[in-house]
Amino acid sequence: MLRLAYSFFRRDAAIAFSYRFAFFAQFTGNILLLGLLYYVGQMIGPRALPSLDRYGGNFLAFALVGVALTDTVMVSLISFGQQVREAQTTGTLEATLMSPVPLWVILIFSSLWNYFLSAFRFALYLVVGAFLYGLHLGQAHMGSVLIIFALTVLCFMGAGMAWAAIVLVIKRGEALMTLIVTAVLVLSGVIFPPSVLPGWLQSLGALIPLTDALDGMRIALLQGASPAELAGPIGRLTVFSIVFLLLGVIGFDQAVRIGRRNGSLTQY
Amino acid sequence: MTTARNGNPSSALQPPDAAVSVLVEGVSKRYGKMRQAEKSTGRDVGRMWALRDVSLAVKKGEMVGLLGPNGAGKTTLMKCIATLLEASAGRILVENIDVAREPLQARKKMGLVTCDERSFYWRLSARENLRFFGALYRVPRRAADGRVEELLEALGLSEAAERPYHSFSTGMRQKMAIARGLLTDPEVVLYDEPTRSLDPVSTQRIREWIRESRARHPEKTHILATNQLTEAEQLCDRVIIVNGGRIVVQGTVPEIRERFGEADQSLHRLVCEGVEGCDLPPADPDAGVWEISMERTGDGAAVIRLVADQRGEGLSLVLAAILRQGGRVLRCESGQASFDEVFCRIIAREQTAAGAAAEVAS
Repeated sequence: MLRLAYSFFRRDAAIAFSYRFAFFAQFTGNILLLGLLYYVGQMIGPRALPSLDRYGGNFLAFALVGVALTDTVMVSLISFGQQVREAQTTGTLEATLMSPVPLWVILIFSSLWNYFLSAFRFALYLVVGAFLYGLHLGQAHMGSVLIIFALTVLCFMGAGMAWAAIVLVIKRGEALMTLIVTAVLVLSGVIFPPSVLPGWLQSLGALIPLTDALDGMRIALLQGASPAELAGPIGRLTVFSIVFLLLGVIGFDQAVRIGRRNGSLTQY
Repeated sequence: MTTARNGNPSSALQPPDAAVSVLVEGVSKRYGKMRQAEKSTGRDVGRMWALRDVSLAVKKGEMVGLLGPNGAGKTTLMKCIATLLEASAGRILVENIDVAREPLQARKKMGLVTCDERSFYWRLSARENLRFFGALYRVPRRAADGRVEELLEALGLSEAAERPYHSFSTGMRQKMAIARGLLTDPEVVLYDEPTRSLDPVSTQRIREWIRESRARHPEKTHILATNQLTEAEQLCDRVIIVNGGRIVVQGTVPEIRERFGEADQSLHRLVCEGVEGCDLPPADPDAGVWEISMERTGDGAAVIRLVADQRGEGLSLVLAAILRQGGRVLRCESGQASFDEVFCRIIAREQTAAGAAAEVAS
């Protein structure tokens, strides 16, 4: 299986590097986004927002962690569906389906390169934030960071697979995905803390795993909280991960069966 | 008799035979869900059936051609065998593995060669593409590189192996599809129109390669779905003609010619002048005239196509009619009907019979 995972990684890396301009332009855009957040932070000033006190009071640090982790979440959420759609439109899906490997495994391996890039961007945000914009990460608890990161990836991997199942059946789901992503970004507190939202929206936001993931990651990175101190977010993320992964694998398997039955697997 | 999942009776399922490589038993495929009323009555509207109670057996080492007009159900059947589609009823065994119950195991035994040239990664080289699919199809690491090089060499792609796939011609892409289908050295190779959209030279090369490959590995089983009857005639031990989702006839090409009565018939093409308004004898098998039709050409002449008995009675009758009415025969070409013509005749008869049955039913 490791060889197969590496083959997917190598394939996608080779394809990505063959589009050199797009590859490097993407990273330049990421760094420019950090600049934007820095100047918004300068405008707001330190300790200007009491709702940020829980995370150390620095807007740049707050927003940067939010953007970095959301990048990984978006890869999980969107990448699987994108891979399916791309394989349908480029015509590689049928050849892929002839593999003796379960399709959900192929789906995860197809996104390894995107995960690698996302993890790289996560690190890039933090490093550039620290060196260029004076972000302090000295007190970060790396154990907690890794646990929250892994659980976030697993949880949204399940959600992404469930999304890929929907793409297999309904084919074009971009509009629905845009709606979901926008709602998730607003409710979970990527750029602003959820505490500024009305109470009923906060309750709704609590049902989204990204809210716990962002809260846990910020406290781990900016306040150095240990896994024991983060038991609440970690516990909830674990439950979310199990539920979403089961939902994703079962849902995707069902979608493939429906596609095989009605002959729509390779239609787009 | 067993009852299939959709409520329709299918032929009795037989135990697997060791000499049989691919066994298709009572397979039907219907697109879309069956309405509840149809389930309870066992009837259906009949428009959505792509396959209806198809049964066939392909022996180890045999090459069978699957022929039929567009929409006949060839590709649907190939996809059901290849596990890409789930049959609505019946069962398919590949090397004694039920493709519906154990699709992952069944895929290890099969290689699928499609005509879709888009199905590769265009930014990768030929070698990178084949290595990737080798890993995807679980070819053991040690064997994979050697197998890729062997196939590139055998198909004449070695020199282009490092070139990106997008720079390949259609013929080269088709060779890549063949190479991919054979990567696992499968027991059963399924070819779905392997020479579609190729020029005659590339077509001939690929056919020769398939023939040589069969000679080198006589134990392998091949199923070839094609619209090109010459291809099936050249390559296959046996052909199966499908129309409207059903098997119309199966056998060797000589058997089919004989069975449909064409062995004792001759095809004549008479180029004539001054036959406008001539009364030609009607088709009458008792008089030796099986089929007769006339087509005008641009230069004032006409071409009479005549299928007649081999004794020459029908031909004499038509020639006498033309001459008696002042016409002139400029040229006469005679021979046996091609397999294309036999095929068209079989399909036409089938469609006439189906139309008559539908009329009776309505």
